[in-house]
Amino acid sequence: MRNIILVIVLIGFQNVFSQELFVVTDPASNVPSNSLSVNVMQSLFKEQISAGYNYHFMPEVTYGLNKNLMFRGSAFISNRSSQLYAEGGSFMTKYRFYSSDDLNSHFRMAAYGRYSFNRADIHQEQIEILGHNTGFEIGIIATKLIKKTAISSSISFEKAFDNRPDYAFPNNIGNNVMNYTLSIGKLMYPKTYTNFKQTNINLMIEFVGQTINANGRSYLDVVPAIQFIFNSQARLDLAYRQELFSSMVRSAPNGFYFNLYYTFFNLKK
Amino acid sequence: MKSKNIKNALIALTFLFMFSINSNAQISKVEIRATGLTCSMCSNAIYKQLESIPEVETVETDLNTNTFTVILKEENNLSPRIFKEKVEKAGFFVGTFIVTAKPETTSNGSYVLLNDKPNSASEIKFQLLDKGYVTEKEYKKTTKSYKEVGTYTDGNEDNFHIKIID
Repeated sequence: MRNIILVIVLIGFQNVFSQELFVVTDPASNVPSNSLSVNVMQSLFKEQISAGYNYHFMPEVTYGLNKNLMFRGSAFISNRSSQLYAEGGSFMTKYRFYSSDDLNSHFRMAAYGRYSFNRADIHQEQIEILGHNTGFEIGIIATKLIKKTAISSSISFEKAFDNRPDYAFPNNIGNNVMNYTLSIGKLMYPKTYTNFKQTNINLMIEFVGQTINANGRSYLDVVPAIQFIFNSQARLDLAYRQELFSSMVRSAPNGFYFNLYYTFFNLKK
Repeated sequence: MKSKNIKNALIALTFLFMFSINSNAQISKVEIRATGLTCSMCSNAIYKQLESIPEVETVETDLNTNTFTVILKEENNLSPRIFKEKVEKAGFFVGTFIVTAKPETTSNGSYVLLNDKPNSASEIKFQLLDKGYVTEKEYKKTTKSYKEVGTYTDGNEDNFHIKIID
């Protein structure tokens, strides 16, 4: 019996434009300065090769250092080895370098970098440093908000290393990829605001793709989501991820996400 | 002993005098319309920032226009700059910035009037036209209109260019 090890050193930061608070991607906007956002992500994906489901638990903390810079720490826990097991963690930072805002609209751009470590076995060609691989990712994001609709797109380079101590990255598969995303979110309810306590409902659709640089193998997924915002402070996401096409080996591409977020504003007075 | 008393009295008088200047030169209300947002969670981020200023009495929010009406405590000595910084800390920008204040407020040297001031009003209302206090589009227009005002584009963030509206 292995003990569940749960060591989370997390400082993070979470954006606050609800139509932009996408489930599987990040917008160019950041969380407010001096606020802390806590996110508990859970996912349940169906195994394609063996029977059963793959459960991942990812607590995450995001902190806004100033108006342009945020930090995030995450921990990865999964049941892939038949019981809950702390597989790794991640550290991310995002810098908003361009903003052009007008009444009810904005266009923003940000650059981000992420480093993750993971000790789980490597079981697929897809590279995913959020919960599967050790590695890094660097990318840029552009987000446009027009009235109640947000459109965001990103491109990133991701490279995997060995999952130390036990699992070397296989030599026969490509260890670096390009990722590209397109996300659209729309505030559906309320049509007119009366107070901060009103529940907001957002509908979203996201497209997430990856191409292995060495051999051109790719996948493309679609992620529809519904999101509820309570009291202008807490957030609940329900989403489903479905593979549209894939030419690479993936162990569990289809499944559900369930996320809970809470933002603590103004930590230090 | 006697001279010490006189000295103390003088110090006290000086303080009183300074105090009375302060209380005559204060902002009582600011109305800020924020840009770059349309949802209540974003508005809440701004609300929380504004509320954290100790001199703030109340903040009222119109979520549909993203307008924040901030009532300030008496005898505050706040500059418009702190409000702009707070909105930007929340991740947004100021689109319009309207101040209600005692008429004496504008004569402390940091305000440049761009139109005439009414003679006998107990309170005046003015809009700030500096960069960061109007939308980007508006600022492009005002830079042209006020190009003869030398200080308008000098980048000094402690100078405020104002248009009296009431």
